[in-house]
Amino acid sequence: MSLTTPYTGLRVVELAEDPAGEYTGKLLADLGADVVKVEPPEGAASRGVGPFAEGQTGPEASLAFRAYNSTKKSVVLSDSEQDREQLRQLVLDADVLLTTGRSGDATARGLDFAQLRELSPRLVVLAVTPFGQDGPWAHYRSSDLIGLAAGGPLLSCGYDDHEIPPIRPGGDQGYLTAASFAHTGLLLALLERSRTGRGQLVDVSMHDSLAVSGELANPFWFYPRVKVQRQTARHAQPSPTQPALFRSADDRFLYFALILADQKPWQALVDWMDSAGLAADLVDPAFSDLAHRQRNFSHVQELVEVFFLVHDAEFLYHEGQRRGLPIGITNAPEDLFGDEHLQARGFFTPVEQPDGSTALQPGSPYRFSTFTPPGPTAAPRLGQHTAQVLAGAGHAEVGT
Amino acid sequence: MQPTASTDRRPRPRTGPLAGVRVADFCWMGVGAVATRMLADFGADVIKIEDRTRLDMPRRLPLYKDDPRTYGDEDPNPDPDKGGLFNNYSRNKLGVTINMRTSRGRELADQLIAASSVVTENFAPGVMERWGLTYERLQELSPEVVYARMSGYGHTGPHVGYRSYGPVIQAVSGMTFVSGLPDREPSGWGLSHMDNQAAYYNSAALLMAILHRGVTGKGTEIDVSAVEVGINLLGPILMDVAVNDRPTRRPGFPTGNRLENPLAAPHGVYPCSEPDRWVAVAVFNDDDWARLVGALGNPSWADDPRFGTQAARHALQDELDKHLSDWTRTRTPHEVMHLLQGAGVAAAAVQDAEDLAETDPQIAHRGTFFEMDHPVIGPARFEGSPVLFSDMQQDNWRSAPLLGEDNHHVFTEVLGLSDDEVAELAAEGII
Repeated sequence: MSLTTPYTGLRVVELAEDPAGEYTGKLLADLGADVVKVEPPEGAASRGVGPFAEGQTGPEASLAFRAYNSTKKSVVLSDSEQDREQLRQLVLDADVLLTTGRSGDATARGLDFAQLRELSPRLVVLAVTPFGQDGPWAHYRSSDLIGLAAGGPLLSCGYDDHEIPPIRPGGDQGYLTAASFAHTGLLLALLERSRTGRGQLVDVSMHDSLAVSGELANPFWFYPRVKVQRQTARHAQPSPTQPALFRSADDRFLYFALILADQKPWQALVDWMDSAGLAADLVDPAFSDLAHRQRNFSHVQELVEVFFLVHDAEFLYHEGQRRGLPIGITNAPEDLFGDEHLQARGFFTPVEQPDGSTALQPGSPYRFSTFTPPGPTAAPRLGQHTAQVLAGAGHAEVGT
Repeated sequence: MQPTASTDRRPRPRTGPLAGVRVADFCWMGVGAVATRMLADFGADVIKIEDRTRLDMPRRLPLYKDDPRTYGDEDPNPDPDKGGLFNNYSRNKLGVTINMRTSRGRELADQLIAASSVVTENFAPGVMERWGLTYERLQELSPEVVYARMSGYGHTGPHVGYRSYGPVIQAVSGMTFVSGLPDREPSGWGLSHMDNQAAYYNSAALLMAILHRGVTGKGTEIDVSAVEVGINLLGPILMDVAVNDRPTRRPGFPTGNRLENPLAAPHGVYPCSEPDRWVAVAVFNDDDWARLVGALGNPSWADDPRFGTQAARHALQDELDKHLSDWTRTRTPHEVMHLLQGAGVAAAAVQDAEDLAETDPQIAHRGTFFEMDHPVIGPARFEGSPVLFSDMQQDNWRSAPLLGEDNHHVFTEVLGLSDDEVAELAAEGII
């Protein structure tokens, strides 16, 4: 196992103001890149975003900042002429400039992409914006909710009751979808650079990232020209399907899409229900006929609901899976730390926090047999690496 | 959107950063197909290996022109070349068929692996091993191979055999629980978002491994677990649990469309003039609020001193939402979007697929959706790259392969078999 990763020696200057850019920088840093986050003297905006560590205030208290900035270095630069020049020099020494905000926002900080690329031909400018570098909506403002709405996924999410508006999924999933495309876009540009020696401008649009991530919604329009309708916690579809969330005896929920067409899982389900004496008339040979099952779907659904209601969620998840049924328990985040599978894989990683304590953070989502991602390690304190990084600026060879 | 002029479906040399990389692609279903699609789009020769007797699910799913059906209401005897989802997932790939239950078929697969430098799969654990295709064996066949294994739970650990697909991953990773209105069942996800994200992470892992091999000469085995990707995507929500020991199983969580971090108000999805059409509005601070009030025409209710600070407005969201809904209800989503954006307020129509494909000027400007012809389906639209590059572009050479369309090309040109040998393999049901 090697300590050298694909990003070893890759120098990234991050000017990110939203989770799309910050998470992209985190992915790179956790995987071994040297990511320098440039912050204004008061700190990046995300240092002011909650949730906060209880009882703590100041620039190190934000848990949003800690989650999205692990393993990076922090350098403080003001808007002074001298600091602008320092920033330009950092960028010219780097392989990658990572920016967010609407197109033009970086220019306001004295960074002209075309000029930088001319001075440093190997530089990859990775610009992650709400709607892209240009176009009729390029100057529009966005957010996670706005991105998910404009891009389409939001309309597929919500409840069966359409008096209730579409509901935004939790977290920053719009931003983090853009981050995924920023990551792969950068990799494609780095692969191209390894062939041509030249960097380029990589123009990532959150809007377009989400517009291509609706799964079935676009193909249903491209082909049969029908629209999907949102349904509670299951696939939006052209017409309604049976509920797929089942409540357990301990008042939790399990996801189980009852698919009648496949004989094997049907039989596994009936056998399981029968072993608890709860299969009722489903053991009747008539139910081995698909058409009969389909005609009696509501009856089947009710019996399965009852079966789930009298068992605990953990039992239903593990015993169902043991019997080959694709049942998912709806874990709350706090349930994950005790999961035996994740523990066996050593997934969670203790990471030092600014107050000296440690907390478990998710480990790398990538496992390679020949190298180990070094992160996540602690997010930087504001300006922690200013002296160190600026002392080395202007001397490094450009690129690797 | 420019249709591709050429109707020549014969494989041609590819352009792009991955030109010259050949992939023996055992992937099927959604995650794997989307993951290798990015490689195919940017120049790799991705050879999709299929089984005629066990059709890939996207070939069977009923996304047909002029024949609307709900997922789950499949045609029992589908035309494998008619499926729109397969076309969307497997464009720019080559397609061969191999019967892996025969020893001659497995030999053929070995030859194909030997001629490739990347192997991908997303079967249930154990399937590749049953065919003798361990990482060790792949390295013998193709030294310094990149071997990507994509699964729900990863390839080690007690739940390695658990069955999963997008919604199961979303439930198990916590992504469903954190999504919904407070104090009722989760609304979760209306799509397999984790199939998308797992695919994108697998694309990145493949590209990293190829980049790494370019520098060090070393291949690698890759193990990406979709559940572990999903847990990473919980971000600050999980940090709050870990650092503050604060459970999310608490009254008032999750918060639906409302936002506490940062404190935004109004922040929600509001009804418009037509049934089930909506607009999203997000107001983050006093400046945003002043612009919103101005765009609304300075209504008298907004002068109420109780709405004087962001924190106060956050606490009075029920009232704010009612006022804003009264205003949006007489307008269309795009009318509100452009009016508010024109005033500098973050707002967007909740767009549907028709909006995206037919009227969204930004998507049209970037050419994100493109069109190619298909011999059975006819002209079809595709979801292209949301990333534009100054010095390269996606290499769209062909719509998805017909079942076994490239058998002759791959088995003769790539593996060096004779025409007679290929005809014999076909006659014996090996391909």
